[in-house]
Amino acid sequence: MATYLIKRFFAMIVTLWLIITLTFFLMHALPGSPFNDERNTSEAVQKNLIAHFNLDQPVSVQYIEYLKSIVQFDFGPSIKKSSQTVNDLLGRGFPVSFELGMVTLVVAILSGILLGVLAALKHNGVIDYLAMTIAVLGISVPNFVLATLLIQQVAVNWELLPVATWKSWRHMVLPTLALATGPMAIIARLTRSSMLEVLTQDYILTAKAKGLTPFKIVFKHALKNALLPVVTVLGALAAGILTGTFVIEKIFAIPGMGKYFVDSINNRDYPVIMGTTIFYSALLIFLLFLVDVAYGILDPRIKLHKKEGR
Amino acid sequence: MRKYLSIFLATLLIFVLAACTANEDAGEEPKDGDGATEEASEKVLYWNNSIEPTSFDPPVGFDAVSWSGLNNLMEGLTRLDESHTPQPAIAEDWDVSEDGKTYTFHIRENAKWSNGEDLKASDFVFAWKRALDPELAASSAFLGYLIEGAEAYNSGTGSADAVAVKAVDDKTFEVTLTSPQAYFLNIISLPTFFPINEKVATENPEWFAEAESFVGNGPFNLTEWEHDSHFVMEKNDQYWDAENVKIDKIHWAMVDDPNTEYQMYQAGELDSSNIPPELSEQLFEEGDVEIVDQAGLYFYRFNVTKEPFQNKNIRKAFALAVDQQQIVDYVTKGHEEPAYGFVSPGFSDANGQDFRETSGDLLKTNVEEAKELLKKGMEEEGYETLPEVTLTYSSTETHKVMAEAIQPMFKEVLGVDVKLQSVESSVFSEEQTELKYQLSRSSFLNDFADPINSLESFQTGHSMNRTGWSNAEYDKLIQDAKKESDEAKRFEMLYQAEKILMDEAPIFTVHFYNQTFLQNEAVTGVVRHPVGYVEFKWADKAE
Repeated sequence: MATYLIKRFFAMIVTLWLIITLTFFLMHALPGSPFNDERNTSEAVQKNLIAHFNLDQPVSVQYIEYLKSIVQFDFGPSIKKSSQTVNDLLGRGFPVSFELGMVTLVVAILSGILLGVLAALKHNGVIDYLAMTIAVLGISVPNFVLATLLIQQVAVNWELLPVATWKSWRHMVLPTLALATGPMAIIARLTRSSMLEVLTQDYILTAKAKGLTPFKIVFKHALKNALLPVVTVLGALAAGILTGTFVIEKIFAIPGMGKYFVDSINNRDYPVIMGTTIFYSALLIFLLFLVDVAYGILDPRIKLHKKEGR
Repeated sequence: MRKYLSIFLATLLIFVLAACTANEDAGEEPKDGDGATEEASEKVLYWNNSIEPTSFDPPVGFDAVSWSGLNNLMEGLTRLDESHTPQPAIAEDWDVSEDGKTYTFHIRENAKWSNGEDLKASDFVFAWKRALDPELAASSAFLGYLIEGAEAYNSGTGSADAVAVKAVDDKTFEVTLTSPQAYFLNIISLPTFFPINEKVATENPEWFAEAESFVGNGPFNLTEWEHDSHFVMEKNDQYWDAENVKIDKIHWAMVDDPNTEYQMYQAGELDSSNIPPELSEQLFEEGDVEIVDQAGLYFYRFNVTKEPFQNKNIRKAFALAVDQQQIVDYVTKGHEEPAYGFVSPGFSDANGQDFRETSGDLLKTNVEEAKELLKKGMEEEGYETLPEVTLTYSSTETHKVMAEAIQPMFKEVLGVDVKLQSVESSVFSEEQTELKYQLSRSSFLNDFADPINSLESFQTGHSMNRTGWSNAEYDKLIQDAKKESDEAKRFEMLYQAEKILMDEAPIFTVHFYNQTFLQNEAVTGVVRHPVGYVEFKWADKAE
């Protein structure tokens, strides 16, 4: 296990370095510049700005400088928000996105699994159709449509909850619902189909023959195996949700980090592009690693280490 | 393996609990912002700044989202009044030398910083030299180029000492300009020319980054700033005119989505809202929408270095084929004024007449003339058929819709099939500057309220020219206007310059901008300047 972990760790570092290098050079190959917009300006001002952010040096020199600073976890200043650093932006935005994302994930996973299990148990029954209708709706209705609908009905017409911004748990309900519906639907469908498959296996028959209660059969024996496909999608899903979503954060005016992914590229804000990319990749790589570990726990047949496996 | 599972689940549980506790803490906050219920005695405004201010460093944050905040937190020598003309502010009055180049400002005895310190002339000297410092690289530095020695310093060829600003004594500030330019008083009302507390800024160069360290001198104080979320201003008791400030507190949200902003306004969470594009028709019909000027316009640039637009008559033919009235009536539908000249309405000339009205319609839709001019132009150039024309726009919905509305006008009037091309906006700006397009969309927003700000862009080689157009007579008029101390003569030159510009037509104009919004009836006295920022000094809110 220890050797596996060390190997995995180095592989993760190399992957991250490849991502950094590729992004850095691709980003600088993009046409356009951070200082080019419609606003009035003068040549001297443009030159001063380029020098201020060290963009007058060759890209290779900038690359070396950049590597040096990220080893020290310094992501540099934001070009557009010039009195702030990328560390500030991520340090502020991520906790907010993470908080919303975590609640969303819990809601999506719990309700998704529940719906999936119910649908599988009452296969081809009313509950199955109902659950799958909800799932299809959840997948096909985009979350920004749902968000706007929720705001109009719940906040404006019924005045039950605030419209937007980020202050208390009441501000959290609508964005969580809007954000959780899609993942919930995906999880519900996956759970249902793999549950259906697992429920026909011999060992379930054995469990029934042993006289175990249906509750024990479903949650102890069947679900554990049925969750493998769900865990597989969970890694990527979690990385996406935890780092915030551009649209939902914009609609609900949530100060998360989702907007930086899009705005930084539109603005050619180089340090922010790098910062968000590195952050997201590191998180994704880590979560995929967790998924691999979770495989081993859920299914003893999958061994993380070759020797253990044989 | 069971052990790992329980560890995994336990970790998950901790995360969830952590997330939940954070919520409960947040839930205990007073309900401020959910509605204006609790404040019976306090007058609180709920405003929207749409996004986080770029920077509250006065010369650096060069956009409306920074200026709206800054303008209420600080104050320069002059301040624009309700009719957008500069009035004495931190300066009580001033003397102008006979040649119109040297201004001596007398700073109010009771001008103080929000930390109680005395505001001195040296704070202006410090701030203005700092704004021009090439090391600071402030985007708005070029606005100061009318000061003697400023351009050289900012371009790295001069020195800070050579910038002609000085503190004669604690309360007297003297500036010398390169030439008499009466709109100087207008320019210095802008945040770029706000004073900076030298002592505070020397101790903490990042004083503007947080509410705790921010020291201003305006009607309001920055008391809370949660980045990317909101900021709060409270009335500044140290302000020299504090007795005339009626609002106690302004809460600025940062809501970027126009629909959400409107829904928050409907739910009473905001006192004012912009108009979401999809609802504009309906809201205009209901009659609650207010409209004020915004100095600036939507226009298109011809590239006079690319065929077929090297020919003036062909350019004019294209310009005259466009029906601006139809565009504002059926495309933008925001009650904008169609533009038949480059200078926005709302600027008064030396006689107090509106510049736009006096200058008149210089390039107005004329189908017959357009056809004739195209024929004439093609003969001049010896074209059998017109070279292919591509119209380029930056890829947002508004610009796409506009381009698609103009394309059939060219087809119908001139019989020309114009191709449309959409380019990502950052690339677009760069390639437009490099003159890579034949015909491309543009916009202009005034930085200060004088026609020279609009017209100087089209001088030969100016960084805002972006058409390749060059006209010696035009250049001379602009340069002479900058040197002219007689306002009547200066405006005469500007009128002439605009005529040349529109006659040569390196551009064609579409519509002037405006600001349309809804506002809580209880709120009065909010001034929206045409240069894009909002003023709460005279605002009030009925209970």
